Order: sequence, then C-alpha cells, then structure tokens
Amino acid sequence: MSSLALFLIFLRAAALSVGGQGALPLLREDLVNTGVLTEGQVLEALAIGRIAPGPTGLYIVSLGYFAGGIGGALIAVAAASLPPIAMIVVAGTLRRWLVTAWVAGLVRGVALSSTGLLIATAIRLLAPEQSFFDLPLWQLVLAAVGVVLTIDGRIHPGLVLALGALVGVALGR
Amino acid sequence: MSLLDLARGWIVVATQSVGGGPATLLLIRREFVQRRAWLTQRQFLEDYALSKIGLGINLITMAGLVGSRVAGLRGVAVSLVALLAPAVAIAVGLTAGYVFIRESAAVRAALAGAGPVAAGMTAGFALSLARQSVRRGRRAVADYAFAVLVFGASLFAGLSPLVVIPLGMLVGTLLLRGESTRASGEVGG
Repeated sequence: MSSLALFLIFLRAAALSVGGQGALPLLREDLVNTGVLTEGQVLEALAIGRIAPGPTGLYIVSLGYFAGGIGGALIAVAAASLPPIAMIVVAGTLRRWLVTAWVAGLVRGVALSSTGLLIATAIRLLAPEQSFFDLPLWQLVLAAVGVVLTIDGRIHPGLVLALGALVGVALGR
Repeated sequence: MSLLDLARGWIVVATQSVGGGPATLLLIRREFVQRRAWLTQRQFLEDYALSKIGLGINLITMAGLVGSRVAGLRGVAVSLVALLAPAVAIAVGLTAGYVFIRESAAVRAALAGAGPVAAGMTAGFALSLARQSVRRGRRAVADYAFAVLVFGASLFAGLSPLVVIPLGMLVGTLLLRGESTRASGEVGG
C-alpha cells in the first residue's frame, strides 16, 4: 500500500469518529479487508495502545507500524492528528456555536453509531476465524472481565492486560 | 509562564497517563489548573467540553486548546509536540519490541489471554461512550435503541462504517438533539 493511501485511510477514519477508539471500525475495515493487516494484528495494536502512555487512540501508531514500519507509524499519527488540529481552530473561533442542540445531536449520533460499531468490531476481533460461541470459555470470561474493568475504570489498563496475559500463559498453550 | 514549562506539563501528561478517562483529566487539571494556575477551573472545563465534541483523538484537541489559552499559536505548537512526541516514541518502541518477540511460544500464549481482554476493553469503552452520550430520562431509551440498531446492522447485515457513521450524523442531527452530551469520548482518547 502506498504512503498516500495509508495517510488517507487514517485521515478518513479520524475525521469520521469521536475519540481515538471510535476510528477502530473504519480502520479495521480499510486495513483488514484489503489484506494489509490481519485481525490478530489489530488486536495486538489495541493491546499495545492500552499499555502505552498518552492518548488511548495511539493504537494507530502500532497499526501504522505493522503496515509500513516507522514511516507507517508516523504517517498514521500525522493523518490522525489533522482532524483534532482542525478542531482547535474551529473551537477557537466558533465556541458559542459548538454548544447548540444541533451540534450536540450530531455528536451524539456519531458517538452512538461508534458504540454499536465498536462492539460489533470487538466481537469480530475476538473470534475472527470461528463462531463467537466456539471460543473457549476462559477467553469469553477474560473478554467479560475486560468489559467490566474498563467501565469501572479504577484498575490500570496495563494490569488488566497483564492479568489476561498470565491467564493466557497458564491456559493458552 | 514559559514555553519550556508548558512543554514540561504536557510531557508529564504524555508519559504518566494511561488508559484515558478521568485519570488523564485529573492529571491535566493538576498540571495546568492547580500546579501552574494557568487556567481557571471554568476555562479548563470549557476546553474539556469543546475537546469532547471534536473529531479524532480528543486529547490532541484538549492540548491545543490549553496551549492556545496559555501562549497563542506557539502554545498550540509546543503543546502538540510535547504531548505527541514522547507518547509516539514510546508506542513505536513498544511495537518494535513486540515485533521482535511476537513469534515466541510464550508471547503467543500470553496474547491468547491478552487479546480477548483487549477486545473486551474496546467493548467496555464503547459502553462507557454510550452511557456518557445518551440524553436523560425517557429519551435515553431511544438513544440506546439507536446504538443497538447500529450494532445489529454492522454485525449481522455487515453494513459498512462508511454508511453507518454519516447515517448516524443525520439521525443525530434530526432526531437525537437536545441537551449537550455529558461526554462524547474519553478525553484521554
């Protein structure tokens, strides 16, 4: 895939999403369905993004790296930064207009769409090559633990992932 | 106030915040409202609210808005570089390190456990996003119903995000208007 094509994929995903995680369904579709990455690599990128400090949306760094090395990582960051940078300019000049009911509705529509898309994407990533119900019970339990502890938000995400990795080492061989 | 000190504040956020959400928000408030007193609590909350309605990674917007208040255009540039450069460098380092060891049997086994957790965390983030975005009272039912509809259309009918998201914008603007969203994404995301 060319650098320009990669740039446009990350730019489009960021421009059509709320929050860094919201870009995931579009990125998965564009990168996995075209054979650039596998579902497993997307899952790996999510895990690394959760361990790394800074914005949680920086799982795109790993996606870009997997697609095109360090250059790919930098392209991903540059492209994904443009919409929020544009927002800085817009927010600086149109602060009052941005808190209207219309804009709230538009953002709510994108956020709720992202909710449905993200959960569907999570299920696809969890069971890319088999039915969701054919997964081992311990993996389903770990996924459920990930859901609950993320909503709760009190335990460090790195610790939650480490717990999963330990269980994987014990049961996944 | 100096640009160097502004950079220091964002480097702290970039290197000490993990997982986004309230922890990141508290860190930003500690650095810029409490420790340096460059923003009032009200200005901080206003920038936070504006960053949440922006597209893409909210924390980038938040950093730019705070930088703009503190030092204008130069403040924006310094804040963005100080936030992104260390975080991206660490993420690249972690990814490169992972690629180096990914084929080992122990790492594959660990990923068999960490992978489902990461997928679950994504779903957990999505549910938090919905909870923070819905309107109050009975209208929340309609909001949740829309999210469930999108979930079904995506998972069972294979509807592309490229169709769903513009549709969501249209439905939101026409039917889901009302109070401002309490949050439309984690500020750390």
